[in-house]
Amino acid sequence: MTAAAISKVSGRDADFGAAPIALMLLVPITIVNLIGFVLPVANLAILSVSEVRSSGAMTGGWSMAKWLLVATDPFYWELLWNSVRTSLVITALTLAVSYPIALYLHRSTGLWRNALLVMVISPLLLSAVVRTYGWIAILSDQGLVNQGLMALGASEPVRLMFNLTGVTIGLTEILMPYMIVALLAGLGRLDPRVEEAAATLGAPPWRVFVRIVLPLSLPGIALGSLLTFVLAISSFITPKLLGGGRVFLLATEVYDQAMVTLDWPLAATLSIIVLLVFGVALALYGRILRSIG
Amino acid sequence: MTIRRFAYTTVALATMVSAGAASAQEITVMAYTGLFQDLYTKAVIAPFEAANPGIKVNYAPQPGSAAMIGQLRAQAAAPQVDVVIMDVSVAKVGSDEGLYTKLDEQNMPVVSELYPNARFAEVAGVAVTFDNLVLIYNTDAYPEAPTSYLAMADEAAKGKVVIPGVPDIQGSSLVMILDAKNGGPGVDGLFDKGMEAMAPIAPNVQTWEPKPEVYAPIIAGQATIGVGWNARAQVNSDTSGGKLKATIPAEGTAFQVNIISLVNGAPEAEAAKKFIAYALSAETQKRFTETMFYAPTNAKADIDPAAIDRTVLKSLDKVVPIDWIAVAKVRDKVTEEWRRRVLPLSR
Repeated sequence: MTAAAISKVSGRDADFGAAPIALMLLVPITIVNLIGFVLPVANLAILSVSEVRSSGAMTGGWSMAKWLLVATDPFYWELLWNSVRTSLVITALTLAVSYPIALYLHRSTGLWRNALLVMVISPLLLSAVVRTYGWIAILSDQGLVNQGLMALGASEPVRLMFNLTGVTIGLTEILMPYMIVALLAGLGRLDPRVEEAAATLGAPPWRVFVRIVLPLSLPGIALGSLLTFVLAISSFITPKLLGGGRVFLLATEVYDQAMVTLDWPLAATLSIIVLLVFGVALALYGRILRSIG
Repeated sequence: MTIRRFAYTTVALATMVSAGAASAQEITVMAYTGLFQDLYTKAVIAPFEAANPGIKVNYAPQPGSAAMIGQLRAQAAAPQVDVVIMDVSVAKVGSDEGLYTKLDEQNMPVVSELYPNARFAEVAGVAVTFDNLVLIYNTDAYPEAPTSYLAMADEAAKGKVVIPGVPDIQGSSLVMILDAKNGGPGVDGLFDKGMEAMAPIAPNVQTWEPKPEVYAPIIAGQATIGVGWNARAQVNSDTSGGKLKATIPAEGTAFQVNIISLVNGAPEAEAAKKFIAYALSAETQKRFTETMFYAPTNAKADIDPAAIDRTVLKSLDKVVPIDWIAVAKVRDKVTEEWRRRVLPLSR
């Protein structure tokens, strides 16, 4: 066998070997995804068309009743709209308060930057339940905010929790670290020399921000907003603790139907609707990314 | 060769494990977490283990009855739990799905000692405790016990009322009691008069979802009045040094029933039956009532008068009968009425 022939054979071998190795590398994640995601979602779909008595007992039969109920009862349409609107408001607020922090962090350097980064990310080490209880202590009638307002002469405490206000404040703070980290990743594209060039050419700071900084950070804004929206619409602990039973969102309703009323098929139907909302959000994100280029 | 050796080892190990299990039986009892777990372990499980050295009891705590039924459904093919204690309306669901073995005088003689209302035709298990709804209040805000649930409608209670709202059975019980006292239609009329009676209370409500339970905010003074269960209220009253107290107002009270059930296909059915018989016996019922102030279901339990004063036993004439089985069948409709008529008044 000639040297050329040998190299040809081994080259073909290498090509032949690359595909199975890539496939083999995909096997673990495929298995994890099958067991951890595809099967449970399939189970959820089956559950949503299972028949249940009003007491909560499963009959073993099939029924489209829950899908019909969700499609025809205005309560569930309102629930969907409430959830999407509330999550959008929370996303906008989170973006507004996180952007300046991310920008400042991006521009700071050295030890100071690391210290700030730790401060921004460390809330993630605490469970959302603990942070929500923290907000209860701050927002209650005898809490920090109301004590301050009373000291300034307010006649009675302002209702800051056990309503939508409390849920919005709590979730905004809880989701800020995710937004900031996503924005920071996006700001990595921002070359300080571009800003300097704009300034040298006579652009005032606000124009540099609007024409240079903001457009270049759009991918980060899109990613952070997607993350925050998805986390907001699926969170139920904070709305449960700070909503006072007055704030109805898809996730809290899933919990109530599954754990209190025992209507598992309805809970499964609503869960699939949450998944569909995720899908729409992801599709929108893809489109936005493409249009940004 | 290696595979065969592995198989031999596995069989040998399995034989050893099962031999070990035969000499010391283990049963799993699934019931509520928190205060119930602490006090039930102390008053029932520890004495049972002392009396039956061959049986070890594992307590599998769950946050509520719905979580328990979830576990049982998931394990239906191969149950890991032997005994379960849960609310009657959820126990009915499990009975309908064939998750339990029916308990009666034949397979559980102590059942004949129970009060008639501790047995339900459509439920496989039997009642192990009775609890009841009480009006709970902060003693700084109310030095004298309020005499009516309508104290929650007073101006003084504005923003200070905590009620676990419908579909929670505490809020549901309140609606049903008020419905009965106002000559309402009961379950067939979806407790119309009870919903109506909630109208002046709803605007005063601080939260319909006190977490983790209704007692803590009243003890802390963040709220001053609400409704809860007698047993937990009595224990919380003791641990808070009397900051919280409970009373049965003029409108009356209603029972909450906990059912003890033998799981169908329980791994240790005989030991489990022994445990259930022990839990239902007059002596155990007396000890648990005197520890946690649930009313006993065994008619022969001879309760200390001081404990009787703190249970519903001294006010049986004030109990409004509720057919929880019938209520469970219209629970979704009652919840809808509540959301349509009561919740909007508290926004």
